[in-house]
Amino acid sequence: VSAAATPGGAARAARRSALGAYAVTAALALAIALGSFVLHRNRSYREREHARARAAAEAIARGERPAAHLVAGGLVSAAQPSARYPFLRRRLVDGRPLGGPGAPPGDKILYDAAQRAEREGAQVRFADPDGALVLAARPAEGGVAVALVEAPGGPAGLPVGLLAGLLLLGALVAAGGAAAGPAPRALGLAIGGGALAAPSALWGGPAAAALVAAVALAGAAADRLGLLARAGAELRRQRIAYGFLAPAGLAMLVLVAVPLVVGLALGFYNHRHGTWTFVGLDNFVHILSGGGRALSDPLNFYFTLGVTVLWTAANVLLHLAIGVALALVLRQSWLGGRGVYRVLFILPWAIPNYITALIWNGMFQSEYGAVNGILSALGLDRVSWFSELATAFTANVCANTWLGFPFMMVVALGVLESIPRDMHEAAEVDGASAWQRFVHITLPHLRPALAPAVALGAIWTFNMFNVIYLVSGGAPGGASDILVTEAYRWAFERGERYGLAAAYATIIFLILLVWTVLGTRVTRREAPP
Amino acid sequence: VKIAVAALAAALALGGACTPEADDRAVVVWHSYAGDERAALEEVVAGWNRRVAAGDADAPGPRIALVSVPHEALSDKLTSAIPNGNGPDLFIYPGHDRIGDWVAGGLIEPVEYFVSEALADRFAYDAIAAMAYQGSLYGLPLAVKSVALYYRTDRIERPPATTDELIALGRRLTGGGRFALVYDNADLYGHAAWLHGFGGRLFDERGRVRIAGPEAVAAARFAAELGGPGGIVPPGMTGQMVSTLFNEGVAAMAISGPWLLAELDDGVPLAIAPLPVVSATGRPAAPFFGAEGVYMSSRARDKDGAFRAMAALAGDASAIARARRARQVVPNLAAYREPDIGSDPVLAAFKAQAERSVPMPATPAMRVVWTPYETALQKIIGQGADPAGALAAAEREILGYLEDP
Repeated sequence: VSAAATPGGAARAARRSALGAYAVTAALALAIALGSFVLHRNRSYREREHARARAAAEAIARGERPAAHLVAGGLVSAAQPSARYPFLRRRLVDGRPLGGPGAPPGDKILYDAAQRAEREGAQVRFADPDGALVLAARPAEGGVAVALVEAPGGPAGLPVGLLAGLLLLGALVAAGGAAAGPAPRALGLAIGGGALAAPSALWGGPAAAALVAAVALAGAAADRLGLLARAGAELRRQRIAYGFLAPAGLAMLVLVAVPLVVGLALGFYNHRHGTWTFVGLDNFVHILSGGGRALSDPLNFYFTLGVTVLWTAANVLLHLAIGVALALVLRQSWLGGRGVYRVLFILPWAIPNYITALIWNGMFQSEYGAVNGILSALGLDRVSWFSELATAFTANVCANTWLGFPFMMVVALGVLESIPRDMHEAAEVDGASAWQRFVHITLPHLRPALAPAVALGAIWTFNMFNVIYLVSGGAPGGASDILVTEAYRWAFERGERYGLAAAYATIIFLILLVWTVLGTRVTRREAPP
Repeated sequence: VKIAVAALAAALALGGACTPEADDRAVVVWHSYAGDERAALEEVVAGWNRRVAAGDADAPGPRIALVSVPHEALSDKLTSAIPNGNGPDLFIYPGHDRIGDWVAGGLIEPVEYFVSEALADRFAYDAIAAMAYQGSLYGLPLAVKSVALYYRTDRIERPPATTDELIALGRRLTGGGRFALVYDNADLYGHAAWLHGFGGRLFDERGRVRIAGPEAVAAARFAAELGGPGGIVPPGMTGQMVSTLFNEGVAAMAISGPWLLAELDDGVPLAIAPLPVVSATGRPAAPFFGAEGVYMSSRARDKDGAFRAMAALAGDASAIARARRARQVVPNLAAYREPDIGSDPVLAAFKAQAERSVPMPATPAMRVVWTPYETALQKIIGQGADPAGALAAAEREILGYLEDP
């Protein structure tokens, strides 16, 4: 208060708040500048050292002896294959046999480089993880010219002085502008924060410079509108709360946000044998157009989507009906041993679900499975469960209903406990029938509590990989696959099409996002006032 | 789990050592062996390390440090750990069919630089040839695996020599809830013996997928005759049923690999023979042949030392110990000159079967073939679908996966 009372104190306070705004802008700009520096440094180092190694291999091919930086190298003769083993062959380097007892340590590198160059043509690459050794090989007259070159110096170091100088200059400009008034303050922040655009342009080209400039302008605008000051005040006011949130926030960033962003990005790439190519929206177009397959083809997206929706609806309906019915029965006071029943009914939930899925798979086995055993004991025909979509789907639903109803039962039991008994008693006194009491008292209480459980249960079921994969395994012919198992098959069974699988995952994510938003809306409307 | 936690704690305490016993120069080997195979491997490694410590001239080192990795996790761990420099120097993988993928991903190191003809001569030709890919050698073979014919000696005196005999014998043995034969007939691995016996292949000379030729159709029709209605194989076969039904005596014969022995009760009276000759073609049924190998990581620290350890693991002394202790079908020719190994009927049968078998293709394209082929087999055997149509549909599906979207 006393500082702001004098004109000099007001200027000092303005400078200080401007420096705070500058720090935020400069930190972002510095991150961009550092990123473009690292990319630029790696690229120029690679180009320089690859060129050096290539020149050495050229010299060897011409029959010269490059002196500088050569660790090993020479003209490796064409292979003399073994008569018995086509994959074994001897090679000479400059007339001396490669390998054998007491051979120099570089021999294997020369030998393998010659073999690879014969197969794939001229090449150059780093020969060790640190990038200190570079290997170049090219076919030459009489064999393959190979050079293993040591990089004379590492990549260029970070120009710390330059960056610190620019940051200091930017801070001075920002502080000076702030002391002069509101309009110069914004100008000072924009120019000061943009100081790093110059080196960024040098390293990362116009794109990096434009990014830095945009950050500086956005920082100046946010400061002008008072957004930064308000955010800073909020942070300071709740600093203990944000301090406690920080570790969890960081963990969420690393474990949830980063994989999510990477997964979304992969959907725009195509993966073939270890190489990624950017294909834009091709994967999504391929999936959403049905991939040129008929609607009745299990590989058509809409067929799988239909199965998935049907699967989710059937399961949630059964989970809900069985769960609520059992909860109502377990509430009855005339039922003895309710605790025992509760534990028994929760057991399916407590057993790891892949074990349950494998057991159900065995029970639906056509010749020796328990289900067919019971059917034939009753004099009914045996069913070949996994040879038709309808029966395979039924088998999957049976297994998942077994797994899913305990959750709904537990939720419903909890709600039923919370309904005041006097409401039922009062209704009974007023002559309401059991059905009327259920419809007018129990159901209105159940609905708001069950809505989120249904939304959650639908998401679990939509992505219930284990049951589909282990019970029917998609039989017959992938027809009973749901979207998430389809995505898995594209990634791991159909030639590692990671891009296509990621696009599937993105589509699943979007469907569930819409579902969640709608679900929350419904829940909010249902919530008691 | 306790051991893993202890190992982790020790590794942290040592600040980067890979296992408690590892010193800096030990070659780290990942493997997924269990039971007798693991015991045999540990015995081999302990023997080698003792000789290294004693300064034996034939065991110039380095020491070997074994790290056990669960079988299901091995493949994923290798592909994630090796590129980051956290992987092993060597690893043992139960098959050679991933070599193509590993080479494409830069995971494994070619080793033909180290291998002389004299060393290669120690192995059965097919076994070492299975370790080659695109003209380079990528490992040394430890064991060979293929299926063969198991039969219960209490129900069959002499194994069928031809498929006609198999069906005639099968008809007599099937009925009253009993079946003549069990094998995983909806799986391409189980079906491959008939495919090759009828003269079929999966790839043509130019490496393109061709699975709907007349030979493949004939083989599928034969599988439907065995496993379809009125056949000699129970309907709805799966891999898990093979051991149960053979164990209980419901089935008189089973087609399975060496791993079945571990799943059978001690009292089952059994013998093992090579698969019969396909009567229609006169060729022996030839199953897929997988070579278990020891491979070198492209990030191995000391490649000369790692290869010496590799040669020791695949050497004759190691092979003899593994064949004796774990009954591994080793590819080392010298091992069968030991009287007890040479006269072991189980090893002899699997060795004979390995000599009439087809190495499993190691190309990345092969991994796309499995599921569509199995779907086609299920339709042909289980639902009586037309073999030519079902296989043509599977071929179209596979080619669709191999093209760009």
